[in-house]
Parts: sequence; structure tokens; C-alpha cells
Amino acid sequence: MERTVLIIEDEKLIIVSTQMVLEAAGFRVEAAVNGDEGVQKARSARPDLILLDIMMPGIDGWETLTRLKRDPETSGIPVIVFTAREHSRGHQKSTEMGAADYFRKPFEPDELIELVEKHIGQGV
Amino acid sequence: MDHTPTDVAGSDLAEAPQGAVPSLTDAGLSTSRTASSGVGSMFDAVILLDEQDRVVRINPAAEELCELRPLASHGHRLDECGEGAVVRAVLGSFPMATPDRQGQRTIEVADLLGMGSRVLRLTLAPMRLPNGSSAGTKLTLRDVTSEHRADELRNRYLSIVAHELRTPLTGIKTFVTLLVKRALGPLSEPQGEVLGSVREQVLRLEHQIDKLVHLGTLDARDATTDVSQFELPAMVSMVVAAFQAIAMERRVAFDVDPTPGPLLVRADRAQIRRALGALVENAVKFSRDGGVVTLRTTPVEGGLVEISVCDQGIGIDPRYHARIFERFFQVEDPLTRHHGGSGLGLFFVRQIVESHGSVVSVDSEVGRGARFSFRLPIADTPESSRIAVAVDSMQTGIGRDRETDRGVRRGSD
Repeated sequence: MERTVLIIEDEKLIIVSTQMVLEAAGFRVEAAVNGDEGVQKARSARPDLILLDIMMPGIDGWETLTRLKRDPETSGIPVIVFTAREHSRGHQKSTEMGAADYFRKPFEPDELIELVEKHIGQGV
Repeated sequence: MDHTPTDVAGSDLAEAPQGAVPSLTDAGLSTSRTASSGVGSMFDAVILLDEQDRVVRINPAAEELCELRPLASHGHRLDECGEGAVVRAVLGSFPMATPDRQGQRTIEVADLLGMGSRVLRLTLAPMRLPNGSSAGTKLTLRDVTSEHRADELRNRYLSIVAHELRTPLTGIKTFVTLLVKRALGPLSEPQGEVLGSVREQVLRLEHQIDKLVHLGTLDARDATTDVSQFELPAMVSMVVAAFQAIAMERRVAFDVDPTPGPLLVRADRAQIRRALGALVENAVKFSRDGGVVTLRTTPVEGGLVEISVCDQGIGIDPRYHARIFERFFQVEDPLTRHHGGSGLGLFFVRQIVESHGSVVSVDSEVGRGARFSFRLPIADTPESSRIAVAVDSMQTGIGRDRETDRGVRRGSD
């Protein structure tokens, strides 16, 4: 069965490169370039996992995460937060807010796949 | 360490809480008596507590800051002396009546004596009688509000800079890694070699950005940790990869232990990676041509793993051992040195390791290399015993430092 990952990320370069890594590992990839679009795509595409950036114009990753977790349609989808910025206790904050994991950019492609494999299908 | 009156009221304890163990016979409080207030003044609020945490001496700055009545607090425990915001914050920061307490905490008080929100730095240091027996605790409070606000601003700036640098780097790293792994098709041998070194340089750049950001995030004194579980061996090999190119230039080889099976630890992943990176960078930098840098992750008693980085390089003169973890300290003159660096590497290593409740141990002699090590909890240890072990190992480490004092540490960046 094909598994879908939704990337919510405003940087096209990161979408494209991350998409290549995920597709090489056999995942189908959907992308959204901001939080609003991400929340909509999460409802329509029903991904098996979401990769969520924090620093985005409009609603940021934290707010996007809150909306995803508040909506019963999307609350069960595991979310991995990935960020290029330092967030004070970011890992703890993410998990407290319902994220499955927290990941820093730049990442090792192998580590990303490992993490996605670990959490995908773990949704409620 | 020589304790003049200014030492006690001054900055040495705040800068080096581990090194300074004042004695009860210090006349240090007299200097602080001239201060009218600990808030915003250049004088610290100082309270000396006996082993049962009863107030032995208290200076006027401390009386004012803690909202205590003058001289009424002598002989009473701190919690009996007042209920002001500062007293409550102090009592909540450290376990009371515990021998050999030491360390620093930053306390934010919402409205201090009608002056709005202030940030105080609390330092605890054990006191010793001249015969060496324990005599209680010295507690110092300093208003660091303006430094704190400046730190916040700088951290914010550095965080934005890091984001701007890491975003393109993420794309580059991902593309290059895909190419190196032949995920996008076959490569000729020279193409593979060239892209392999591009990837190493990317890892090196990533480490440099981490260091830059680190200037801000850890300089804020009370480093907070963002604890998660991660695979230690994978991190070790990634850190080594980042320095492979520099090591090869110097004909320095890595010897990384092949620890069989997974080794999951519980720590702040990003911070440990930086600390390990700084130790490996130093080890390579101070190696001689043709030397070997050895990394080991060894499970030890108490559900801990010891991580060690060992080089065969120039080593460090024992007379510098006490100073090497100081900020900006470098063994050689920065104008004539040929090793480079900022003098911040080991300062950060110590802050990171101590924020994990561990200590950095160093073993080094001139010409005989250096071995740095620290311990982390293995992830599958039950919560309770892990904490007990961490505290135990911290006390052991402190004890060891005190015995050998300036004999064990090595300095460099």
C-alpha cells in the first residue's frame, strides 16, 4: 500500500529536496507551502504522516500543529516538526502539543527516513 | 584560591562556582555592607547558611532583596525569615539542607520591590572550615536583568541568522547526499569523490553554524536542555564525518569503536552533538600529523554510558588545566597562535555537559595527548534510578575535581 507524506514548508528548495528523499524511499509526497494550505491538504489528502516546518509566513508551524490536533479529521495523523531555528525546549514543546517527533534542519536523509518509518502508521 | 573581601562580593564565584570554596572566616561581607541595595547595584546580595540552612550572616543588600527585617533573621532558617518573592524563588531553586550544593540558577521575579520584572542570578557554593569540614552554603544573588535582556535580543538575532543559513544548507545537503548515495543514478569515480568532499564541507559548515548559534543559546547562563532519546553511535559517526576532511589534510585518522547493537541515550540531541563536535574538532586540531583520534562509547555502572575523545597530540601543561573551560581562554597567544579558534569550545562543552548533570573529565600531560570524557544516561534505565545515578555521578565528579583541583583539566578551543 502506498504511504503518503504531506510536507508543510514554505521553502520550495526544501520541499523539492525532501520530496526526492522520501520518493526514493518509496513514499508518495504531497506538499503545502503554508499553514492554511497544509491544514486543508491534511483534510483532503489524508496523509499517513505530516512533516511540518515552524517558521512560515501566515500561520506558523505551532499554530498549524494546534489546528491539526484540534480537528478530529486530522488529529490522528502523526506530525514530525522540522525546523531550522533554535526553539527553546522545542522537542518538549512539540511533543506536549501532540507532535510525534521533532527534527532539526539540516537533516541526514537516512535519519529522516528512519524517523518517518518509525512514526508512520502509528497514528490513532 | 585567594579570598580577599572583594572576592566574596565580587564576581569570582559567579564566574567560577566550581573553583571557589569560601571559608566562614571570610571577612567578605564587610564590603557588601556599603551597598544600599542588591538590585541594580554593583554589589551582590550575600547570605551565609549553616549546614541546617540557618542564616549565619546576611548583608544589607540581601536583607532588602529578600524583604527581611534587619538582623531578625540570624539563626533562623531561610523559610522562616520571610515570604517575599525572592525567598520563595530561592527556596524553590535548590534542595535545602543538602551538603555540597553548588551551581547557578536564573530567577525571574515578576515584580521585585515595585521595580517591575527583574532577573536575578542565584549562585550556591559550599563553604569549608579551615580544617576542611563542611560549614554550610554561601548564597549569592545578583541582578542580571540588563544582561539577560541583551542575551534575549542576541539569541533572537542569532536564531534568525541560523534559520537563514540553514535553510539553503538543508537543500544543498539533501541534494548532495542523494547524489553521493547514487540515489539519482550512477556516478564516475572522480564525480563520487568530488561530491563526497562537497558533502564533508557541508557538514563542516553545518557545525560552524551550530557553533555560531551556540554563542547565543548557551551564553544565556542557565542552559536549558531539550531532552529526547537518540542513537548515540549514529551521532558519533555523523560528527566524525564532519571532521573527516580536516583530519585527512592533517593525516589524522579516526578510531571509532564498533559498539555492537543500538545504544539509545536520553539527552539534548543538538547540544550533545555540539559538545562532541567541539571535542572532536579540538582533538584533530591538537593532533600531530599522522596521529589517531579515538572515540569510545562505553556503558558503565549505573545505567550510564561514558563518551570519550582521546588524541595523541600536544597535550596541555597542568598549570593551565584549571583554566581551560573558562570563556575565551586559550593556552597560546591569540596573535601568534597557529591553531585558531575562538576559545569558546571547551567553555560550551562544560556548560552543555553540566546542564545534563554530568561533568567533563580530562586527563592530559604535555606531549602525551589528552582524553576528555563525560557520561550520559542510557535511555532504557527506569526514570527513578536514572535520576539517582545522575545526581550521584555529579557529586562524585565534584568530589574528584576538588581533590585534584587544578590537576585534571585541559584548555583549548
